[in-house]
Amino acid sequence: MNYLYFLYIEFLLRHNIPKLFGDITFYIIPFCVIAAALIVVVLVLVLAERKLLGFFTQRKGPNRVGFWGVLQTLADAFKLLCKENITPKSVDRFLFNLAPIIIFIPVMTALGIIPYSAEFTFVNTQTNVILYLILAAFPVISIFLAGWASNNKYSLLGAMRSISQVLSYELPITFVVLSIAVLSSSMNLTGITMAQFSKWGFFGWFMFPCVLGFIIMFISILAELNRCPFDLPEAESELVCGYNTEYSGMRFALFYLGEYAMMFANSMFIAVLFLGGYLSPFGKYLFNSSFLIYFEQAFWLFLKAGIILFVMIWIRATLPRLAAFDLLKFSWVYLLPLSIINLFIAVLIKMGELA
Amino acid sequence: MNWNEFQRIFNDCELDGNKIIIKSNLRGVIGFVTANYTYNMLKEIIANDKGEGRTELIYHMYSTDDEEDLFISITVDGEVESIADIFESAKADENEIYDLFGVKFTGNENLKRLYMPEDWKGFPLRKDYVQDDTRLVWNDGNNEA
Amino acid sequence: MTATMKLKLNLGPQHPSTHGVLRLILELEGEKILSCEPDIGYLHRGMEKMAEKMSYIQYLPTVDRIDYLAGCFYSELLCRIVEQAFEVELPDKVRAIRVMLLELNRISSHLLWVGAFLMDLGAISPYFYAFREREMILRYFEKLTGQRMMYNYFVFGGVRKDIAYLEDVEEIISVLPDKINDYEKIITENPIFLKRTSGKGVLELDTAVNHAITGVNLRASGLNYDLRNIDYLYKGFDFGAVVLDGKDCWARYKARIMEMRESVNIIHQALEYLKSAPALEQKLINPLNLKLPEGDYYAEIEAPRGLASCFVRSLGDDRPYRLKWRTGSYYSVNLLRKLLVGEYLNDAIAIAGSLDIILPEVDK
Repeated sequence: MNYLYFLYIEFLLRHNIPKLFGDITFYIIPFCVIAAALIVVVLVLVLAERKLLGFFTQRKGPNRVGFWGVLQTLADAFKLLCKENITPKSVDRFLFNLAPIIIFIPVMTALGIIPYSAEFTFVNTQTNVILYLILAAFPVISIFLAGWASNNKYSLLGAMRSISQVLSYELPITFVVLSIAVLSSSMNLTGITMAQFSKWGFFGWFMFPCVLGFIIMFISILAELNRCPFDLPEAESELVCGYNTEYSGMRFALFYLGEYAMMFANSMFIAVLFLGGYLSPFGKYLFNSSFLIYFEQAFWLFLKAGIILFVMIWIRATLPRLAAFDLLKFSWVYLLPLSIINLFIAVLIKMGELA
Repeated sequence: MNWNEFQRIFNDCELDGNKIIIKSNLRGVIGFVTANYTYNMLKEIIANDKGEGRTELIYHMYSTDDEEDLFISITVDGEVESIADIFESAKADENEIYDLFGVKFTGNENLKRLYMPEDWKGFPLRKDYVQDDTRLVWNDGNNEA
Repeated sequence: MTATMKLKLNLGPQHPSTHGVLRLILELEGEKILSCEPDIGYLHRGMEKMAEKMSYIQYLPTVDRIDYLAGCFYSELLCRIVEQAFEVELPDKVRAIRVMLLELNRISSHLLWVGAFLMDLGAISPYFYAFREREMILRYFEKLTGQRMMYNYFVFGGVRKDIAYLEDVEEIISVLPDKINDYEKIITENPIFLKRTSGKGVLELDTAVNHAITGVNLRASGLNYDLRNIDYLYKGFDFGAVVLDGKDCWARYKARIMEMRESVNIIHQALEYLKSAPALEQKLINPLNLKLPEGDYYAEIEAPRGLASCFVRSLGDDRPYRLKWRTGSYYSVNLLRKLLVGEYLNDAIAIAGSLDIILPEVDK
């Protein structure tokens, strides 16, 4: 980030703009960029999911609006914008309106933490892994508020399920992240990425020493995102739509947007922790120019995240939903002990390296 | 099913094809055939309106062991003992007959309007039921919108 | 502190997994069901009352609507009543045609069930796979009868016209076993599916008999009661009834899968006969001014959702004095009262789904 920062300040000083202005705006501009990029990413993601689901289930998927259906999600978003925002009579108005707004704040911030390329991390604190973990668990508060404020029994049950789910899957995630921190001797996402660098390309990735952790992490992230087979909080066949049953129009769209943005952020998080983040799988970059290399690094990160997203969608097309009781049991009985074992393995590996 | 033995115990009955017609003591007869023979399934209860408020109920019993059907017919005056405690399936059948014929089954607390709206007057499958179109007006005009 | 509060939940009548408009009034403690009270009647069309106002031939097209997924079975019942009254012996070819269509109809009904059941469990793909195969069957029905669901193909004493497009049926039954194998691969041994279904919703045999549960649900509880064995229509066909002893949701699923294979087997035999059969010769009963002789008539048949029967009392008029339908689903709904108590909400959805309840059949 320093490199970009100096470029920016230098550019401002050349036009006689005080450095203070640059100090402030430098942190605001990226978030505007994220906000704009996020919409595009989510639109593409939703379209990709629908197309892929169509492909898996022998259908065409959206294919009418625009060439190959590319404008379908745009049209849907437009429709949601135009729809009436219905507020049922007996809801808690303040919380009801607050919930869809606060689902977006952690997602936006979490995306600022991800190192997109060597110099391109908006919030680069020393321990931003921990910050990310906190933010990733944050949407559950919004889900709880939505479920509670809706004054609807289905919503309440959905919120109830969501909280118990996030509570039980947060621990395995934390233990797995701890093992990564041990392996890389760093609590910083850029540091973790750099620790995976090796001459032999992808052999340095933490996916290999930490294969158990990778699987646990993937499962737990699915659960935290309420994705199939852990989509209990919004199980359509049981709870109608779960916590967002009473939401319509733009408020519903915000939930939808937040969910998919979180999915995108979390898949990038996995890519950073286990798949070498922005590192090239070949050990050296294709471009030599120092400027183009940033774009190439971002490309690798997005590609890795894309593969993870694809697997998530694939799983959704294949598996039925777990039962609520089994879901909690699965986490406490299998995932948690395994993640602790994984931590021990990581410590042993590290000790072997140091010795 | 031994008809002679049956007739000896319940003398107030007659046989018509594969149908036993009894006059009273429904619970006794049903209890007898379930206890002494293998009739363990009540397939259905068929109700027929006989006019003047009388209803014929045909209990269709089945034995899963002997694979035999048995029809027991009784004509009642709008009220009869329930056999829902012997056969769970009778709960559903009796409720349906109450809804469509207005026969009351004493001992079955679950009776309620099933197909018809709760404030519906009359029992549609009775022959004296007059189809009155005003009953189709659900909204009595006092409700807003 | 106050005592734990019970949550009263209205599942339905508008709910994605009630397969129509069933309303279940549930009392929950957390997600555990304390009591269940089914409320039906949202789809009541007065089929029995209608019969008393219509002549038999007028009534015949409407009976397909009793169960829109397996309409053939109910037309067959009404035709059987009339044929019984006039003591008509059906020619072999008519029997073969009817059996073939009934079994095709049964397969399409079971296919929809497989899809809908898996949808209840949260898996989306099997729904589309099942519909793909069901579409082939419906296409054939459309070609033959002009309708995809309400066929109105059976008439008193025979069928409306001679069978045709047998090569389509041949294709269906050549493709279907492979596709059923595919379902088994993706569903049957899936650990999540097993966890959701095996040991859930155990229906003991005496409970099932006491609740008058019939059809696949009863056979999956271990009793060999299949009316097709004694049905005169199926005389000469070689098949075995599917009887499983699992008693749980998984057994009911497996029984339906196995029953589809068995139906393919029956269709195969009917097809072999029809391919070499002579042109159709049938003695139709003149439906105009049709008056059933005085008396009671009763017919029953093995429908996809349990035993279906029809009772007609005629006073010698051109319309029945009283007509009563018995449908399998009606008793399955009644069973929910007992089966759902003590289960968790998401298991309850699976259990209710596994019983294969179709609401038009319940409400009549």
